[in-house]
Amino acid sequence: MTVHSSSASYREQIAGALADGWRFANLHASSGGELVRTLLADAKGATRLETVRTEDRRAPSIVDLAPAAGWDEREAHDLHGVTFAGHEPLRPLVAHDLRLDRWTVPVRGHDTYQVAVGPIHAGVIESGHFRFHVVGDRILQLDARLFYKHRGLEPAAEGKTLDEGLAFAARACAACAVTNGVAYAHACEEALGLVPTAELARVRTVLLELERMWSHLNDIAAVCAGVGLAAGNNSFAALTERARRLNARLTGHRFLFASVRVGGSDLVLDDDDVRAARDEVAALRTDSARSWRELLFNASFEDRLPDIGVVTAAEAGWLGAVGPAARAAGLAEDVRAGSPRLAYEGLEPVVPRRAAGDVQARLEQRALELLQTFALLERLLERPGGRAVAERGGEERPIGIGRVESPRGATTCVVERRHDRIERLRLRTGSYANWPVVARAAADNLLPDFPLINKSFELCYACADR
Amino acid sequence: MLTLLRDLRRLRRDLDLRPASRGRSLAMRHVDAGSCNGCEHELTLASSPYYDLQRFGLGVVASPRHADLLLVTGAVTTRMREPLLVAYNAMPEPRRVAALGDCALGCNLLGTAENLVGPVEAILPVDIRIPGCPPAPDAIAEALLELIDQPRR
Repeated sequence: MTVHSSSASYREQIAGALADGWRFANLHASSGGELVRTLLADAKGATRLETVRTEDRRAPSIVDLAPAAGWDEREAHDLHGVTFAGHEPLRPLVAHDLRLDRWTVPVRGHDTYQVAVGPIHAGVIESGHFRFHVVGDRILQLDARLFYKHRGLEPAAEGKTLDEGLAFAARACAACAVTNGVAYAHACEEALGLVPTAELARVRTVLLELERMWSHLNDIAAVCAGVGLAAGNNSFAALTERARRLNARLTGHRFLFASVRVGGSDLVLDDDDVRAARDEVAALRTDSARSWRELLFNASFEDRLPDIGVVTAAEAGWLGAVGPAARAAGLAEDVRAGSPRLAYEGLEPVVPRRAAGDVQARLEQRALELLQTFALLERLLERPGGRAVAERGGEERPIGIGRVESPRGATTCVVERRHDRIERLRLRTGSYANWPVVARAAADNLLPDFPLINKSFELCYACADR
Repeated sequence: MLTLLRDLRRLRRDLDLRPASRGRSLAMRHVDAGSCNGCEHELTLASSPYYDLQRFGLGVVASPRHADLLLVTGAVTTRMREPLLVAYNAMPEPRRVAALGDCALGCNLLGTAENLVGPVEAILPVDIRIPGCPPAPDAIAEALLELIDQPRR
């Protein structure tokens, strides 16, 4: 870890790393805004942290080098008062109560007008505000104002013990509770010089894949709902229900809450558990294949998907898209492929044959990844086990980092500690990374297609807002 | 449990035991006031084939103008306080409020004081409480069915 005192060397290091193939992973400011830290990651799972000391809370921007850092810098300004030289205009992101022209991109011309939607939506949907700039039905620009659900989880965790801090990461979001919990546990364990045993890695990988299984089944149902196909929605919703019941059977909780802890796992998977789980995973594989085939032969459904909400591979790259959304655009990146702390040996990222970065590709991506998940679960659940610990295997450090692939993409957790207390917690989830990509995908499309485009990403608001 | 409830309702109808004052449907407007998304995911599945709440006359509607019940999830954040009150004030009377899930009920809230207003009852009168973190679809269904079986106030 290097602390740069000059802006030039900080930017130089980051520019050099990006040129060498490192990817932007996270940027955060210390609570008082004295330091700004940028985290970079490579495909094998290595990370490097570049830190710059601010002057009067002024720091150099890296948004020209890594546009994916745009939201992070805006958040660091709103919550920690850091201004970024070269990031202009530095629009508010978390801060609300500001004039419309301060947070939206100006769109001018004949017949342009705005359509405001939310924060409350017309269904069972999380809260957030979308402002569409349109001509007729054509979307020119989408400004999303989220953070209505901002609870201040990161500052609330400061001063807590490392064990207590888990809840602030895990409870940020029910749909990513395991991912966020494991990312936090990995960060703490790295800081404490602990390495998971093979059994702990196996148990956590099972939990992560159970989370991906229900989530991907839910996402396919959501796309069906997005075009009003009740039959597809119902059949995949029923599969989602079965996956949640399996979660409850194995861990006592439908969303696997409280199944992750720092330094070990108390979960016990006995003979009956793993046998029941293997049988149900096999049944879900068969039944989801049947439901998927129904979708493929439904011409009016399939007609609605291609060329809608396109994100090209180049756009996905510079916007920092992650997870199924990035892979559907052809970027073969998956944190699981470089996760020595988990049991993913030999896993290769999958991409669809037609990686067009549209709604169809993102939908097909979920189906492909489900096959991977079924196979992983069947292999990982071959024998009973559980009750495992992390053991000493490295030096203690003041900062630990955890990177885990959530159902929505790379999630990064940074824990800065003083002794056993949290000094700073930062959680950057797959949803947070992908929201700016949704805005890009919506541009040039028709307004009535937005719900479908949005469903094809199916991001959480809760773990972006925190 | 749901099957039993359905059978009981059918039995009551067949025996003509239902008083005229009992409601037969309930239109609900959902507002996420700052949840972790768990209650939303369970509420969504309450309409899935395993539970199918619509068959009991329970449906989520797109406007508070059409709603009998405001179904609120999450601890109320500072930023959702105003939109929540707008939705409530847009509802016709008689109107009821349900606090769905432990956060809406004020149990074990996480966050900072400046960002959280508190439980739903800190700003609205709460008529029904549905505990759980999150409540499972059958628990949601049972609580709502009990509400439509209550005599009208």
